[in-house]
Amino acid sequence: MKRFVALKVNGEEYDIDIEPNRLLLHALREDVGLTGTKEGCSIGVCGACSVIVDGKLVSSCLTLALACQGKEITTIEGLAKDGRLHPLQQAFLEYGGFQCGVCTPGQIMAAKALLDANPNPTEEEVKEWMSGNLCRCTGYYKILEAVMAAAHNKISSDFQVKHERKTAKIQSLNVYKDS
Amino acid sequence: MGFELLQPRSLAEALEMKKSYGEEAKVLAGGTDFLVLLKDQKLKAEVVMSLRGIRELNFIRHEEGKGVTLGALATHGAVAASAIIRQRFPDLAEACAQVGAVQVQNLGTVGGNLCNASPAADAAPPLLLMDASLILASARGERRISIHDFFQGPRRTVLQADEILKEIFIPQIPGRRGATYLKLGRRKAMEIAIVGIGVAIHLNGSDQVVSDCRIALGSVAPTPLRARHGEEILRNQEIRDELIEEAAEVAAEEASPISDVRASREYRLDMIRVLCRRAIPAALASARGNKVEGLS
Repeated sequence: MKRFVALKVNGEEYDIDIEPNRLLLHALREDVGLTGTKEGCSIGVCGACSVIVDGKLVSSCLTLALACQGKEITTIEGLAKDGRLHPLQQAFLEYGGFQCGVCTPGQIMAAKALLDANPNPTEEEVKEWMSGNLCRCTGYYKILEAVMAAAHNKISSDFQVKHERKTAKIQSLNVYKDS
Repeated sequence: MGFELLQPRSLAEALEMKKSYGEEAKVLAGGTDFLVLLKDQKLKAEVVMSLRGIRELNFIRHEEGKGVTLGALATHGAVAASAIIRQRFPDLAEACAQVGAVQVQNLGTVGGNLCNASPAADAAPPLLLMDASLILASARGERRISIHDFFQGPRRTVLQADEILKEIFIPQIPGRRGATYLKLGRRKAMEIAIVGIGVAIHLNGSDQVVSDCRIALGSVAPTPLRARHGEEILRNQEIRDELIEEAAEVAAEEASPISDVRASREYRLDMIRVLCRRAIPAALASARGNKVEGLS
């Protein structure tokens, strides 16, 4: 029998009716409609579904959605503010901390939870903390670089402006449009 | 995996529910094992009782001169980060820090780790070293049992149909204690132990003569166990390499590992010896470095 739950995701409240066995992962993706959080192994081993609940990094595939009533849930969609990327998001772009991108939302959420708790981690601390986030494209070094860059504010201030300009220029070339 | 979900807000409410539902209501704490078992259909549940909303079970309490009590919902993450546990029971902190990774440590509980009764439960060997006791509660009342009497076999414990694990009590240990937990897996994170070994060394007065040595093994028998004959070899002795070697041999003889997907019986027996040879000196060094007497 479906039950009502109010999920507070990225500061907004979503009232949904779900089965008691609904996992937070599926409630976020299918009921709330935020598909940034990815499903990987679904048994709490790969970290792709990592989200932050009441300040703690958790696997959303190991959490019942009904148990999250009244809790503050943060997903990858909650990081960018007013059109500005979160420093970690920008660092992952700038330092190429991803390849296929499936693990990236989980990687970024894990890194965010780390920097929230420890703003100045060593490389070893980052590796240890992120050991629960698998990347099957094997791009770990660049992920590490991106997290360290975000921690030490080594991201360019004009990255987003340049990126947007470049995108606009490519689009203006008209090559992708029908003639 | 459809089920009815019970969400009691207090222990009293949970015990009443367990009284009326009995065996039918499966108890969910952190969910890191439970939900995976349900998904794999290794566990069937019509009714699931989640303890997550019971705040009174989520604590770590230290009473000087008595010991430390963990509420059944204390997570691996909270235990691994607790200053008192890290200082006085480093083996338990190390074990909890080696369960899964951060995402799992923030959900999984030490209580759930014990109640699942996996032979590989990481929290079990350290708690066996400490002679911890468990408070089991039901609507009929409470009983206290030793952790040594808790496990009955793989995934079987002495918990009755109407009972819930309420607290884990770690008693004060006299003298200076040093301890470590070593876990062997194919990689560091997100692993189930192939072999897990806890060793505690107690010193009383002398830095040389070991007043007590305790060895606990995980993943090498139907339940986690103490290697009591191996311990005997080091008790009241001055530790020498030959004695460590002998204790490691004897400890391996006390285990009865199986061959499974993770490792063969022979490999596990060999690794008990290797890990004992590493853990005993490490525990001794940790005891010698511990200058505080009468740690609880």
